[in-house]
Amino acid sequence: MQITSEYLERAIEQLSKLPGTGRKSAQRIAIHLLKQNDEYALKLANAIVDLKNKVTRCSVCGNVSDSDPCKICENQKRENGQVCVVEEFNDVYIIEKTNEFRGRYHVLGGVISPMDNIGPDQLRIKDLLTRVGGDEQITEVILALNPDAEGEATSYYINKLLLPYEVKVTRIAYGIPMGTELEFIDEATLSRAFTSRSAF
Amino acid sequence: MLVTKLELLHFRNHQKNEVEWAPHLNVITGPNGAGKTSLIDAIHYLCMSRSFVSTSDMYVIHQGESYFMLKGNFQGEIRSEFEVSCTFSRGDGKKIFVNDGPLDRLSDLIGMVPVVVLSPDDKKLTLEGPAERRSFLDSFISQISSVYLRDLLDYRKIRKQRNTLLQNYSNAPHMLEMYLEPWDNQLVETGSRIIAKRYEVLEKFKEYLAKDYAMISGMNLTTGLKYQTFCEPSINSKDIEERYRVALKENHEKELEREQTLIGPHRDEVVFYLGDFELRRFGSQGQHRLFALSLKLAQLHYYSDELDDLPIFMLDDVFGDLDFPKTEILLKALQHHEGQTFITAANPIPFENYVHFDGERNRFFKVEDSVIVESLNR
Repeated sequence: MQITSEYLERAIEQLSKLPGTGRKSAQRIAIHLLKQNDEYALKLANAIVDLKNKVTRCSVCGNVSDSDPCKICENQKRENGQVCVVEEFNDVYIIEKTNEFRGRYHVLGGVISPMDNIGPDQLRIKDLLTRVGGDEQITEVILALNPDAEGEATSYYINKLLLPYEVKVTRIAYGIPMGTELEFIDEATLSRAFTSRSAF
Repeated sequence: MLVTKLELLHFRNHQKNEVEWAPHLNVITGPNGAGKTSLIDAIHYLCMSRSFVSTSDMYVIHQGESYFMLKGNFQGEIRSEFEVSCTFSRGDGKKIFVNDGPLDRLSDLIGMVPVVVLSPDDKKLTLEGPAERRSFLDSFISQISSVYLRDLLDYRKIRKQRNTLLQNYSNAPHMLEMYLEPWDNQLVETGSRIIAKRYEVLEKFKEYLAKDYAMISGMNLTTGLKYQTFCEPSINSKDIEERYRVALKENHEKELEREQTLIGPHRDEVVFYLGDFELRRFGSQGQHRLFALSLKLAQLHYYSDELDDLPIFMLDDVFGDLDFPKTEILLKALQHHEGQTFITAANPIPFENYVHFDGERNRFFKVEDSVIVESLNR
């Protein structure tokens, strides 16, 4: 095989490093990009550069943001005393989309997993305690971690550390996804939903 | 539950093959190494996402190929008709599709098509160490309870995390205690549920085992089994939790010393008895063989009573080991089983007294060099 464009080859190589993208998809994307006008290519390139250079982390909640503190932490309308603890910043994005939660967030940056050498000190747990003990007037900490072994262990650990503080600690409910039929729900989820059923 | 059709590509000694199965009895004969077991192992793969012969998916790929693919059409009482396919390749690993939709977790497949396998390997069940019996018990219960399977997978992970802590912090007991607590709590809850379920199932299973041993041996030696865990078992997991916490506390020093989790269902044992004697210590070769056979028959009958769908029953090369009267008893038992059955055999077995191979309800296949031929007049 003879390569006629080193530049095309270089683009394909970089694109194929993207998650879920094999060499074939990378080829298709590179050829698609080649067919676009210059303006589009420049916009895309700049977006990538800005993503790396301009996005930072909020020093209060740990969320990704263009400013520090982030817009959510700065927003005085969201000063309702509630802090929702999540594993990663994409969880903030998911919860924000619901438009249900009007408090603030705290991003841990992971969950406790000794096998992966992640202990409480590798996570932003101390920062959470500082916030709860500080002047933010936090009244409720809502734990919204994944319901797997690591998420459970982390929730348990945080709850224990928060015991001496005057703050309510809650966790999001386990249950049945909306719009599904009981028939299609796995037994483990269903039995969990039964144990954590609530009064009508 | 029935498998009506099976397609194999690069699976063990089959390059490419396709078979339509009979709803009741399928007998597969042929010389050693012809590919008989591979055919039923392929069905097993589609039920349990793994081989019952080989421990590694790698060895299952046909020599010289880089992947294998299996596809089966199933028919049941609850799910009327569905297709399960499975692919494995070195690079991409294992993927399972049900009606072309990929399964997020391989474990979601377990229990969809219940299956019971009798094979020459069964003798390990009574002869070898407790791990064999735990794995039999786990696969037995996982097929009837997905909650159990989920608990089992969680428990394994919790124990690994906990063991890592015990290894990393054995010389910092104060830190360790604080870090262990969240895992201990889950270990106790999940572990207790596993023990309660094992106890509940074994209590019922006992009766099936006694009946089937009596049937197959023709003797009135009563069988018994005793479930052994670190405490007095109960069918209520809340009762076990208390005892679990106490045992963990009592063994804390020992755990620090050994740097691993020492209390829990991963160390359980099931002891089998014949009359007053412990089978593993005093049983003869013949008694072991019959006992193993009864364990699987009891599994079949337990499933048949408990599940809405009858399990698929597979007998891989088991007739060679049995004397004529036992063969006859087993064949009679099969006659009574309403579900679908697969039998592989290298030597001829006197089926004709029990089964009429009409090519519809019962089929007779001959396999030679992985070529499958149905024969009506055997």
